Amino acid sequence: MLRPIYYVAKATFHEAWRRRFLNGILVFAILMIGSSRVLMYMQPGAELRMLVDIGLGSIRFFGLLIAVFMGARLISDEIEKRTIHTILAKPVSRGQFLIGKFIGGVTTVWSNIAIMGVAFYGLVRLTAPRVAAAAEGESWVYSLDLMYGRVLGSIGLIFLELFVVTALAVTFSTIFSWILATISTFFIYFVGQMSEFIHQLADPERGATPVAAIVLGTIYRILPHFEIFDMREAILDPARPLPWEHPAKVVIQTCTYVVVVILIGYLFFNEREV
Amino acid sequence: MCFRIRRCCAIATAIRTENLAKLYGTDSEGRPVGLVGLTLEVAEGQIFGLLGPNGSGKTTTLKLLLGLIFPTSGSGEIFDLKLGSPEYKRRVGFLPEGPYFYDHLNAVELLRFYATLFGMSGPDLEKHIQELLELVGMWDRRAIRVRDYSRGMLQRVGVAQALLNDPDLVFMDEPTAGLDPSAQIEMRNVILRLRDEGKTVFLCSHLLKDMEPICDTVAILSRGTVRRLAPMSELLSGDSPRYVLTVAGQSEQVQSRLASLATEVRPREGNLEAVYEDQGAALNAANQIGAAGAKILHVGPERRTLEEVFVEVVGGE
Ligand SMILES: Nc1ncnc2c1ncn2[C@@H]1O[C@H](COP(=O)(O)OP(=O)(O)OP(=O)(O)O)[C@@H](O)[C@H]1O
Ligand SMILES: [Mg+2]
Repeated sequence: MLRPIYYVAKATFHEAWRRRFLNGILVFAILMIGSSRVLMYMQPGAELRMLVDIGLGSIRFFGLLIAVFMGARLISDEIEKRTIHTILAKPVSRGQFLIGKFIGGVTTVWSNIAIMGVAFYGLVRLTAPRVAAAAEGESWVYSLDLMYGRVLGSIGLIFLELFVVTALAVTFSTIFSWILATISTFFIYFVGQMSEFIHQLADPERGATPVAAIVLGTIYRILPHFEIFDMREAILDPARPLPWEHPAKVVIQTCTYVVVVILIGYLFFNEREV
Repeated sequence: MCFRIRRCCAIATAIRTENLAKLYGTDSEGRPVGLVGLTLEVAEGQIFGLLGPNGSGKTTTLKLLLGLIFPTSGSGEIFDLKLGSPEYKRRVGFLPEGPYFYDHLNAVELLRFYATLFGMSGPDLEKHIQELLELVGMWDRRAIRVRDYSRGMLQRVGVAQALLNDPDLVFMDEPTAGLDPSAQIEMRNVILRLRDEGKTVFLCSHLLKDMEPICDTVAILSRGTVRRLAPMSELLSGDSPRYVLTVAGQSEQVQSRLASLATEVRPREGNLEAVYEDQGAALNAANQIGAAGAKILHVGPERRTLEEVFVEVVGGE
């Protein structure tokens, strides 16, 4: 049962790592993270803020590009290039194939984030003590250890966020061509960034009509809430609340969401003619 | 155990379809496009040819049989299992039309990948892969990546992956397309060897010259409908017991003599062929002509080519 999934995932992972386009994004991300070491001096007095913003921003942004551009092609490319014919003619069920492709895709995304994350975390550990020492006596003080922990936490959240993005991309790629799947995933990602805003719009006490409240409320409930993955504000400010109550809850919610999204993808893929 | 008994005591059915249809709509003249209703039974151990012009529904049939697309109506079974079920795929091999593979792999990596989907691995597998690549003449070129393959090389590796699991039933879509003459002969030998090993081979093609010498049974498909289904020998011998006399040369004198008794006289490959209603008339004519000094090349029952039968069945399409 699990064997075909493993081998499809492995082949997907290997193929993805051979794609120059994706390699290029990773190289660019690492360069970007490295350059934050220099760019941070553009904001005297807020060097760490700059370092964190550029570094985490790069991991998130380039990770997103990798997740979408790879994920949206996972199934649609197999169908468009007809490589799927010989595979589904082997004793591999459609469910096994889909899960294998998804796992291969997610591990590719995660390994890319891991490389970027290690580079960024190393840079923070090297840079932060010096900046802190130079800032001695300034009006704002913070705990370096708390900051390191929260940097790691932020990187962890990017893993979860792109887990959801990859699942969305794969599911769209079972339905659409890769171009449409790419556009749809970006669309959901950007709308998902605004889920809190939509939530407020749906609030009758703020003037939403009953129909709008139902429609927007439903959209809010279906959308992934990408805001919970962003704790950048809290990294340098221990007083800032985290965007979630408990890390375990975020993990469980994310995994549930991913399972549901992939299940929907499976329902489409099972009916898809290839 | 059960499996054995079935095999030795009765010829089992490899493929069975019942009004299997896949409709893609209608053409400009309102005729249905796709596969209209296929009822077939393919016994184990034979080479079955599904022949038909371009767009007649051959590839559609194969995709249905492999569960890549789903029927609009009707049903089918392979080894008594519902179409599309992964279970029968352990016993099946498939060479698609103009096959496509992961193009960043080379031949060995590609076969290794497909083998893992069957749960095959280990040193025996490496040996098996070498044998298969030698069989299709790709062992010396095993390091070349698929993206740099020629059409014929794709076809060869396609055959190797179709035979990876030592299948009992092999589907091949246009197996001889894109192959050079010697590769075509090799392909034919591979197919015949599969039958000798007791396997069932299901071929789709419009290349009649390649199919004529190998198929045991033929179905002629046209616009999604089977127009003729018969053993090849029956198809080619025709219904009438007519006889043909072939005489060397095309001299007018011989021609007029032949014509006096024959139903039909026609030139063929620099010689003359006369058709007679029965054996006696043909032998009689052969004696007369021979006594007159003409050179008799052949007297025998009329055999049509598959092409002639095909054109007759399919018409001018
Ligand atoms: N996905 C599809 N959508 C619409 N029509 C299709 C589709 N696939 C096949 N058809 C139509 O169904 C008919 C049969 O196609 P099929 O590919 O089975 O032909 P074929 O016999 O394999 O032809 P060829 O010898 O050219 O390979 C054609 O008219 C084709 O246009
Ligand atoms: Mg075809």
